[in-house]
Amino acid sequence: MSDFWFEFVEITQTVGDGLLFGATYALIGIGFTLIFGAMGKLNMTYAGASLAGAYAGLAAFTFVNAPALVVFLVSALASGFIGFVVYVACFRFIPVNNHLAALMASIGALFFIDEIVIHATDGSPLTFPAMFEYVMFDLGPYGIRGDLLFVFVVCVVSTAGLVYVLYRSRLGLATRAVSQQDVAARLCGIDVHRTNAITFVLAGLLGGIAGSMTAAAVGVLSPLVTIPLTVKGLIVTVIGGLGSIPGAIVAGLLVGGLENVFLYFRGVNERDMYVLLLLFVFLVFRPHGISGTAIDRD
Amino acid sequence: MAYYLGLVQLIGIHTLLGLSAYVLMLTGQLSLGQAGFFAIGAYSAGILTVIFELPVLPALLAGALIAAFFAFLVGFPALRVKGLMLVVATIAFSEFVRLFFFNLSWRVPRGDISVGPDSTNGFREIRYFVANGWSAFEITAFVWIFVILVMALLWWADRSRAGAVLRAVGEDELAAQSVGINLTAVKVAAMTAGGFIAGIGGALYAHTATYIDHLTFTVLLATFAIAYPILGGLSSVFGTLVAVIFIQGVLVEGLRFLGDWRNIVFGLLIIAAMNLKPSGLFDAPTARMLKRAVGLDGRG
Repeated sequence: MSDFWFEFVEITQTVGDGLLFGATYALIGIGFTLIFGAMGKLNMTYAGASLAGAYAGLAAFTFVNAPALVVFLVSALASGFIGFVVYVACFRFIPVNNHLAALMASIGALFFIDEIVIHATDGSPLTFPAMFEYVMFDLGPYGIRGDLLFVFVVCVVSTAGLVYVLYRSRLGLATRAVSQQDVAARLCGIDVHRTNAITFVLAGLLGGIAGSMTAAAVGVLSPLVTIPLTVKGLIVTVIGGLGSIPGAIVAGLLVGGLENVFLYFRGVNERDMYVLLLLFVFLVFRPHGISGTAIDRD
Repeated sequence: MAYYLGLVQLIGIHTLLGLSAYVLMLTGQLSLGQAGFFAIGAYSAGILTVIFELPVLPALLAGALIAAFFAFLVGFPALRVKGLMLVVATIAFSEFVRLFFFNLSWRVPRGDISVGPDSTNGFREIRYFVANGWSAFEITAFVWIFVILVMALLWWADRSRAGAVLRAVGEDELAAQSVGINLTAVKVAAMTAGGFIAGIGGALYAHTATYIDHLTFTVLLATFAIAYPILGGLSSVFGTLVAVIFIQGVLVEGLRFLGDWRNIVFGLLIIAAMNLKPSGLFDAPTARMLKRAVGLDGRG
């Protein structure tokens, strides 16, 4: 009986850790979904740009020994800037209804960003500094890692910030108008290109936070993470329902929690396989994701 | 000489990879999972010749059939969604396959060594051609027999009812459905055919390279697979062949002097190509211009 109790505590602990870390997946998923909602296109560079932002933060730490807050700020700003450049390079001048060309261009940009990171770091993983003291909060039989809790709180705050901007500011009003009906938005005098560019920058800022949070929680930055993070972000986006922010949040936490369950039972090498299978479970039983309404446009 | 024969083999294999995406794109579907089917063909055929000691031809056909079977399986759930959702689903499938082979360890003793897929260390002993004394020229001919067969089949299919049905679905699903075409059947059939062709390509790749590991079959390879038909256009199978020769023969070989920087330039080239020619380098107007230039134009 005590064995069972011990294992139960272990599993709930690991799910809890996963839920906290899942907040970063939720942020990446929100970024994909935001751009999909605005333009109906997939920006494949997104996770790569987020990690590139984290690298910029790491550079700020390494070269000028910036404090933690500045590191995160630099990450967010760098990723936001990359978001703008990607918009101009891969979306701005490609015909609106040509999804394929924009997708290919953004895949090209993903390789470009990835290669630059590989060149700058010689392809080897770098240690991301522990930004905070090791803290452990005890909660009965459970412990909550301080850094994971911090990651979670930052993700929640930045999501809340995004939702505030989207639903309480003129900027957000314009963004939502463009995503609903871009012709009507244009008739109301909204500059569609400017609004889309701002959406990319907003998503980039979020991505930079997610990237540096992931790096801070894992402790290592490596170019090998780009593709898995891209795939996980896409899975979160699809499971949540393309274009739905609440869906992406729920899906991010779900993937984070389940990922740790798979890790606990099957080990690190097989973990991601089951996350990928999860997508197919959703495709079979709930192809339009958790929030099944926002999908008719594709 | 051996180097150029190797390049010719690679061009043949990549043409098969590109054609596997081409079939699917005729129906208007974009798959980033062709690297997964390619990997299934490569590993299955490799396992059959190495562990079960089969001759290469049955192993190759079996590998292609296994890849086709998985394409068929993936087709059903994946085709319930379309467009960009299908892209995500096929990426996920391809990564799943890659991770599966990353974890697959199946070693059997052969003499005083053991052979077979060895998870992260890759699958090193696919030496059927060497063991049976095939010359580089014979291997190249073997590869190109399949390339020509597949191209001829697709070319012929394009002139038959099957091609018309595929293109009808690609042009306008609603119109195709209203003349009685079963959309799901057509799409799953295209997916299966694509899986079969990619499987042949993978099986040939495994045996010409003699060494495969999971890092061969990444999203980069899947990107190449769709880049060929996108660049070459969908007007005929020869567009894909021209695009493969252009990318593998001219770009990849021609940029070799750039060394490590080549991949960076490659990314930039994709971005530039998509901005300047969003419908492909050999889109309809360009193709017409080229035809007129070489005097092949019949009706304009």
